[in-house]
Amino acid sequence: MASDEDADVFEITDFTTASDWERFIARLEEVLHEWKLVNNKPKPPAAKDEFTSGEWLEKTDDICFADFKFLITYHYLNVSGSKSESLDRQSPDNDVEEEEKKEDETPTVLTDLMSTDNDFPSKAHCLVRLYGLQEFIVITPADRNKAIDSESRAKVLLSSVSVALTNSSSSIPVFIQIQQPWRQMYCGTSVMSEMSVEFDVIHLTRIPQQYSHLAGLLDVFKSKLATQVTPRPTVDVAEPPDLSSPMEDEIGCSSFGSLPFGAIEDPISALQLFCSWYSLSEDMIVENQNYSDLDPLLAPQWTAKIKKTEDPQCLLGTYIHKFLKHCYSKETTRDLLWNILSEEVENDASADISQALHRLTENKVGYNIPSLSNVVSKAGSRLAVKQAEAPISQDTINDILLFLFPDAKDPLEKANDDSETENACENNNPSKFTALLESLPKRLKTAPTDSLVYRLAVCLCIVNKNYGGLKGLAQLWQEFVLEMRYRWENKYELEGVSKSAPHLGSCLLYQKLQMLNSCIEKKIQRETLFKGYTSQTNLDSNSSEMEVENNSESNGKCESENKKRKECCSNKLDRKTSDSSADDDDEFYECQDSPSKSPTELDKDVDEKEDFSETMDTSQSESSSFVDSVTHKPEGRLSAFNDIQLLSTGEQLYVPVTQEPAPMTEDMLEEHAEILAKLGTSAEGAQLRARMQSACLISDMDVLNFAANPGCVLEDFVRWYSPRDWIEDESTMSNDNTQTKPKGYLSPRMQIPGNVWYEAWQSAKPVPAHRQKRLFDDTKEAEKVLHFLSAMKPADVILQLMPCLIHAAIIKVVENDDSDIPRLKDILDQVITRASKVTRAFNQNAKHYEDLLRMITTLENMIAQAKSLRTKFTTDLWKDCDKEEELSQFLTQLLQKPEVDIEGASQGTVGSCLHQLFIAQQKEVNMIGEEESLSENKNSAISDFPQPSAREYILRTMAPRPAPYSKTLPQKMFCSIMVGHHFQLAGAFTSDSLFQ
Amino acid sequence: MEQDVLTTLKILIIGESGVGKSSLLLRFTDDTFDPEQAATIGVDFKVKTLQVEGNRAKLAIWDTAGQERFRTLTPSYYRGAQGVILVYDVSSRQSFSKLETWLSELETFSTKHDIIKMLVGNKIDMDKREVSKEDGLKFARKHHMLFIEASAKTKEGVQCAFEELVEKIIQTPGLWETDRRGLQLERDGNTQQAACGGYCSVI
Repeated sequence: MASDEDADVFEITDFTTASDWERFIARLEEVLHEWKLVNNKPKPPAAKDEFTSGEWLEKTDDICFADFKFLITYHYLNVSGSKSESLDRQSPDNDVEEEEKKEDETPTVLTDLMSTDNDFPSKAHCLVRLYGLQEFIVITPADRNKAIDSESRAKVLLSSVSVALTNSSSSIPVFIQIQQPWRQMYCGTSVMSEMSVEFDVIHLTRIPQQYSHLAGLLDVFKSKLATQVTPRPTVDVAEPPDLSSPMEDEIGCSSFGSLPFGAIEDPISALQLFCSWYSLSEDMIVENQNYSDLDPLLAPQWTAKIKKTEDPQCLLGTYIHKFLKHCYSKETTRDLLWNILSEEVENDASADISQALHRLTENKVGYNIPSLSNVVSKAGSRLAVKQAEAPISQDTINDILLFLFPDAKDPLEKANDDSETENACENNNPSKFTALLESLPKRLKTAPTDSLVYRLAVCLCIVNKNYGGLKGLAQLWQEFVLEMRYRWENKYELEGVSKSAPHLGSCLLYQKLQMLNSCIEKKIQRETLFKGYTSQTNLDSNSSEMEVENNSESNGKCESENKKRKECCSNKLDRKTSDSSADDDDEFYECQDSPSKSPTELDKDVDEKEDFSETMDTSQSESSSFVDSVTHKPEGRLSAFNDIQLLSTGEQLYVPVTQEPAPMTEDMLEEHAEILAKLGTSAEGAQLRARMQSACLISDMDVLNFAANPGCVLEDFVRWYSPRDWIEDESTMSNDNTQTKPKGYLSPRMQIPGNVWYEAWQSAKPVPAHRQKRLFDDTKEAEKVLHFLSAMKPADVILQLMPCLIHAAIIKVVENDDSDIPRLKDILDQVITRASKVTRAFNQNAKHYEDLLRMITTLENMIAQAKSLRTKFTTDLWKDCDKEEELSQFLTQLLQKPEVDIEGASQGTVGSCLHQLFIAQQKEVNMIGEEESLSENKNSAISDFPQPSAREYILRTMAPRPAPYSKTLPQKMFCSIMVGHHFQLAGAFTSDSLFQ
Repeated sequence: MEQDVLTTLKILIIGESGVGKSSLLLRFTDDTFDPEQAATIGVDFKVKTLQVEGNRAKLAIWDTAGQERFRTLTPSYYRGAQGVILVYDVSSRQSFSKLETWLSELETFSTKHDIIKMLVGNKIDMDKREVSKEDGLKFARKHHMLFIEASAKTKEGVQCAFEELVEKIIQTPGLWETDRRGLQLERDGNTQQAACGGYCSVI
């Protein structure tokens, strides 16, 4: 082609002298090539309704004209079948045919213009709505504040586009956005061989009277074409009546126990009804200023659509969002409460503090404070609140605390409450989701719904919203921590926290409280045990100990492995001699507990030890100690063990009372595992690891050895502890005559000299469980938990409570969901799956919770919409049983689809129901102006429908342009009249570029 | 080398005492065998990097003690494990019949629902066999486990058992994406989710 040669010649100089304008064209061509929009075969028109149902895609790039930056965007409908078709086209067999056909084929643009299958798509780019195109390019200024406001600039751009399109022989329509973006004005062009399409738009904010109806619009269209034509206009009348009515829902909330739910404002702002007439010929209908054939009741097609309020305020979402927002705050509880906490607590303690504590226990039977001053000095001093400045009033905080700790309530009151809560449970128990609700605690890492942590989460969330925000939150948390300490020190177990070792499948805070509960339990157990021991067996055991001591004195030898045992005895002796009162039991345990000892205590210990060894001639052979122990009354037996006899003495082997290993929360466990892992994989590391974990083993050896089974040996221990390491040997003849005595030997691994088991056994000392060093140091662990709690910033508290809150929110959503929207269930499933991941994450992440919350808000919104819609359609018709199903189906569709076709238009069930609704609405509107209308206008010809708020017309025809002898080509004009808003005409006029 | 490790996997070895859990582990990690392997106390720990299908996975293997009394302690370490190797001794019927107990223990204490389980019948070098291969297969099928017979002494099946397990874990992406390195992946996932949420509210 000649142009190609020209291009070759010009190529060298082209880029050096290129003007802005040429560069713009070159870039445009480049983009067109890049996106493969050149020399494309025409596409078939999109299938019916595909514009709505199909997927719209877009590609974007930058393009500059001089220093003015544009965005160039390619919008296209992703046609599902296009792939196979394009393959067909490429196959060589079809090529010849294609070539022949090419002449007849109408370019995509033109088929699109004439296709009536996708008139008035419900959601699409505005250009799609105007012209019915399935692919097009839009060039918009990159900076939204800069607009192309002069016509000459638009013309320059448009002509550049034409040049580019011609050069690249692309037929894709290209639009340029002109004027301010909100006006949605585009002018465009599409260039094909021998013809071109001009796209032009008129946008007016006031509607010219003479063009506000079909007749006037036809005049415009005809004058533009300058020929007599027979257009086939289709008309769309949209009539959105305002059906908003306030929704009844609980706004605000009275209790601390449940989260609120629902939208504050009506989530559905309007219902729109579209009445459409398709493919009518010009002479079939008349619409002018005085008369209209377009009666909504006669329209062949009705479509309904609901307009949803954008981002309606939903209670649940708002509450949790406000709560979560604070997790970015950095203040500590002290920072927040500095001005309301009185500092001179210590001085005028008695009055203030007794009051503060009184608050917790006031008039309640459950408590029985032993000595107020005692508690005050230990725990109470931190929180004395200046009432006037506290964000939560005293009464409120009383209520909240009673809600959190129902066991502090008057028993009578409690009974009442119980029955109430039972009733409540019965009420909101939708059978639909029970299985789901039951699986929730397993899927989420949260706390049981009736637990203290769960209540606290919900309560704090509500406090945050309704009572003083972050400060109120800090205040309540402070109270909570104080209560925890109070309960620990006074040995009241926590209600609403299950009494077991921390459940690792629950959230950290719950584990911590479980830990604290274990500590309290242990403390109670320990103290009662000791009291029992002192009262009953004290004399016995002490006397036998004395015996042992005497023996050891007389023996006069020193053995290191017995030292510890003696220490134990010495302590007891000390205790006995110095003060024998039972009150002192705590001290005794503390001394035994070396890891948590303070240096001073340690020193004291050492002193004691030395003193003792000086005063007594402490040396003793191992054998003699066993001999002694035989005579000593065994202690701490649990039960006989499988009729197995001791190897040395032939006595029954007893399973001893053992100490349970210390419970751990997940963070402790993590820490512990990390320490173990850090020891590395070397042999030494493994050895060290084994030693670190042998505490329990040694403890068990101790109790078996001496306490329960005097005179037993390692073999006996192994037979109880690791039966598979005891190999019975039947062949060996028994030397003794006792046939019951079993013969056998330890497995090889137990016989390795220096293995941990053997060594541990060597150092085992006979001590019953309750006098051993505690494996589980409840004092230390409780202090750790309490420190953990009090060191938490409000932000940490929030984050740690999020799992429970999300759990509560999901339950709330499920309880309120009474619609059958499948999408809702999908999102719910998604929420739960995500929540299970987020709550299980090692580090709680606020961002993840925000995402989760967004999804939950969406759910809440959808449910609120469904509810709102249901309340609106509770007309008399609704009660008709036959129609109920059809109507409810329609409502469900309304919520799910952007637009719903109404079967049978005005004649159908749904149609007549809507008709009723409109009549009612009209009556209401007219009631307001009743007096005037009565006086002025007696003919009550009130139309059933309000004036349409918008009307849209599409006018189409085939007409020769620009001259009568030109080719007959498609012409189209789209008109949109929105009362009070705008008047828009968009024309696509094709002209023959050959015969003009 | 460290940075192309795909993920760190936590693997557990459980089973009755004396079935050869530590020996299996030692054969796998150090390729050694000690007939007088000391009885494990509490838990032990080894690390090995393994190449599976072009992916390098770092294995943190926790070996547990089988004794009844330790069972109050060891389940704490089940937390977060992606794979578990359940070992029995083919020369001890008793070790096989206790498998159910171990499985229920696992069910109770593991935090991941889809943990991959492998059944290993150890000590096939021993002459005195009390559990047939069929029995092992049947048990594994019943409880949806991987199954292999092995011998820590002769090396047979050991490497294969670990490799198979890791491969299976890697093929189950939900299982290990939440790993520390996987956090990044998860973040990407989030944005998608968020976009999805946005879409929902549009309609």
